[in-house]
Amino acid sequence: MGTRVVVLQVLRQKLNYVPNSTSIPVQFKTCKASNLPSSLSCRLLCSVSNLTPSLLQHNKRNSAELSLRSLLDMGFTEYQAEQLYDSVSRMKGGNAAKHVLSTLSVLFVLGLNPTTVHKLLDKCPELYTVKDVQLQQRITQLRHLGLVEGSLQRTVSHYPKILTVPMKSVKSVVQFLREKCLFTTQQVAEILRDSPAVVLEDLDQLEYKFQYVYFRMGVKQAEMVKCRLFRFSLDNVRCRHTFLERRGLYQTPDKKGQTTIINPKLDGILNVDEGTFTADVAQASPEEYDVFQKLLAREWKEEEFEHGSIESYSEDDEKEEEEEEDNEEEEETRGKSGYNKKKKK
Amino acid sequence: MALQHFDATYSAQLGALWPSIRVALLSERKYGALLNHFSHNLDVEELQAQGCKDFISNGEGKPEEDSSSVSTVTHGGGSRQPSPLRLSPNIRCLVFPRGDITRFRPARPDKFGLLSYYLLDAASILPCLALDVQESHTVLDLCAAPGGKALVLLQTQSVRFLCANDLSVSRTSRLKRVLQSYVPKALLTDDKLRITSFDGTIWGEIERNAFDRVLVDVPCTTDRHSLMEDDNNIFSRSRVGERRSLPQLQAELLLAGILATCPGGDVLYSTCTLSANQNQAVVQQAVQLAEEQHGIQLQVISLCPLAQMFSNTFHFAPNLHLGEMVIPHLAANFGPIYLCKLRRLT
Repeated sequence: MGTRVVVLQVLRQKLNYVPNSTSIPVQFKTCKASNLPSSLSCRLLCSVSNLTPSLLQHNKRNSAELSLRSLLDMGFTEYQAEQLYDSVSRMKGGNAAKHVLSTLSVLFVLGLNPTTVHKLLDKCPELYTVKDVQLQQRITQLRHLGLVEGSLQRTVSHYPKILTVPMKSVKSVVQFLREKCLFTTQQVAEILRDSPAVVLEDLDQLEYKFQYVYFRMGVKQAEMVKCRLFRFSLDNVRCRHTFLERRGLYQTPDKKGQTTIINPKLDGILNVDEGTFTADVAQASPEEYDVFQKLLAREWKEEEFEHGSIESYSEDDEKEEEEEEDNEEEEETRGKSGYNKKKKK
Repeated sequence: MALQHFDATYSAQLGALWPSIRVALLSERKYGALLNHFSHNLDVEELQAQGCKDFISNGEGKPEEDSSSVSTVTHGGGSRQPSPLRLSPNIRCLVFPRGDITRFRPARPDKFGLLSYYLLDAASILPCLALDVQESHTVLDLCAAPGGKALVLLQTQSVRFLCANDLSVSRTSRLKRVLQSYVPKALLTDDKLRITSFDGTIWGEIERNAFDRVLVDVPCTTDRHSLMEDDNNIFSRSRVGERRSLPQLQAELLLAGILATCPGGDVLYSTCTLSANQNQAVVQQAVQLAEEQHGIQLQVISLCPLAQMFSNTFHFAPNLHLGEMVIPHLAANFGPIYLCKLRRLT
């Protein structure tokens, strides 16, 4: 416990900035000294025994000095420090500068090294605008949701954007996954870990995707998690599945969960590149899949536009009771409607 | 319903070809624009600007005008020399290139009220081409409605007299309307065109040895249509008997068509199904009946040169021992169309 407090205090000292309400992470397990800039870790080791209460009531100063010096002190290389300084300077308003240092400190406390932090901010400059308090809260939330040490850091460094998402949004996605989709807590944590972008997805889309894979494809939660389903866009999943389905290579399981053919596994469908998918799984030519994607995109666009209304044409009442439908030729006046003349079974 | 049936039958009949055909049948079909010689319109230039080409004049090698010269078509693995094959002249049909899924806009009437093109499955043109209508031929279209193929035949401008028949009265009135939208009245006079609503199977009793060319484009399970339309579907339980007796009806129609043909004339049998039961089997049956019941000898005219010529536009089923068949493929989503050409020797 003490170590943790000391680290924070040391950082505060170093940065000459005392945020009023930096919350102390509750589940902060260990602070790896090696993650800290060497100057700090030395300090840490030296000053443990010199803890005094006065450190806890450091003078508050209103403005932080964002300078190359302070960045270098945090452990960034010159190049990195310059880059950071430039990016922040270019941002509007003096607030950016004020917050940056505390934002950075939160990231360090998380256990990321300067190079990672630099990469992160480069990838996701929006992070500069996140208040340190919010940042800390969001990190805490992710921990609560099951992103343990190691995973948490990896997820954040690969997808820093996750920290720009409000807690409310994360909560609603998680709630959705647990309550509507019936994923276990463990599974939700895995989803967050492997497909963090899921927190930014529109819930309707997410629901459609889940239902599509669950009902149309007959795939259960465990397999969805294992295949990292949520990394893939709905269109991608639908397109590959529909291609297989129309070729007769994928069947929706019946009420008993049975099919007359063996469906290819979700993993084999999604986690392969297009070439492999087309040739090995679908056993088709690249040209076929190419044209199919175009056709399907158009189909979806038109479905959306019509909201699933039934297409009916008044000129189309030429059906006979006794006759064959010899309709391979369409009436000229129907034009485009001849193309759309289908009601899917 | 239809799909289940097809999966059962065609996976066996077509083997490894079936998945590609299946996905094409379940996806949006491709059309061709049959150009109307009788209309004057800028639509055609617009279409060509969009990249459409007339597939007929862009076939591999040229159609033979003169039957004495040997066809120069050599395409891929053909050890046998394709025999010369004449095609009906003057037919033009624009299609978008392979893999291009652009749709045609509806044709607009010109100042005389005639439409500049007719949209249809480009593969439907093949039976009319293969029929080889030549100058001043008399032609019978035994199952003519809704009229696309009749219209193609009239485009040849070689038909002295066309008889277009269909069993159903309402369908023949539709046929009339189609022809009126495309062909000037002057060419639709009684001496040039006769539209009838007889039962085609009894044609043998009405007219025998009367026509130079006969087209028998029979009612069939219309595979593509049956997959997409539930209304009055031929695969519904209420129509089982009808469906099962289709091959017999088709053979009767073909036989009637044969009887109506002059000796030396040609008959073209076509369907829009993949089913061998309705295709090769029917032809064989009719040929046999013609011989046994009427002493008529028929020769099968190979359509291999036609298939080779248009293999750059259509996919043809390989190794069909009798006739040719266009199979749907996503990049060339025409068909299915089966065609077989017979010549009356006696």
